[in-house]
Amino acid sequence: MKEIIAIVRMNKLQETKRILEDMGFPSFTAMKVMGRGKQKGFIHEFTHPIPVGNKDQDVKRFIPKRMIILTVNDYEVDKIVDVIIKTNKTGNPGDGKIFVSEVIDAVRIRTGDTGEKAIL
Amino acid sequence: MKMIKAIVRPEKADIVVRALDEAGFISMTKLDVFGRGKQKGLTVGGIHYDELPKVMFLLVVDDESLDAAVDTIIDAAKTGNFGDGKIFITPVIKAYTISTGKEEL
Repeated sequence: MKEIIAIVRMNKLQETKRILEDMGFPSFTAMKVMGRGKQKGFIHEFTHPIPVGNKDQDVKRFIPKRMIILTVNDYEVDKIVDVIIKTNKTGNPGDGKIFVSEVIDAVRIRTGDTGEKAIL
Repeated sequence: MKMIKAIVRPEKADIVVRALDEAGFISMTKLDVFGRGKQKGLTVGGIHYDELPKVMFLLVVDDESLDAAVDTIIDAAKTGNFGDGKIFITPVIKAYTISTGKEEL
């Protein structure tokens, strides 16, 4: 089992959700997070760019993002990563990142099922 | 690659960000979380707080810069009292940048 953590733009979440649902992966966890990348948050995504120069504001330059966490079987990972990239790509910095990591076990609380049965 | 999940005091969040910035770790994700530790929360006067607000940082770094990042977070977030937080490290198999579509950090 693999865990896919995708950090994407706020306004792309609905579309990502819809496409994942169409593909047959309706289950996931979404979170509101703040983030920044190599550009230190210097992306003028908003009409009023954040003032530059004040050192105190350097640390406050985080951009609101949405984080999606999906747990899927090993053979489905590439397919989902491709779709998430295709849906969220605009080509500009700030599109986000996808991280894939190993999950040792999963348990469905309702039935107590473990392993692949829990994420079906 | 490794993912660092650091849970720190909210008032130390800005200091941690600045320290990581100076150490060259610019990319990160910040989440507001609630948690408790071995001390089962906090009792102030007669009021018991079961879960205390914390800030969680998610950073993905290369294996060779892992120790530097962890040391930076510890130095910045340490006060010596209970409630300073925890750092967890998990392996990351792959990382993709969506804007280029490539497999890179």
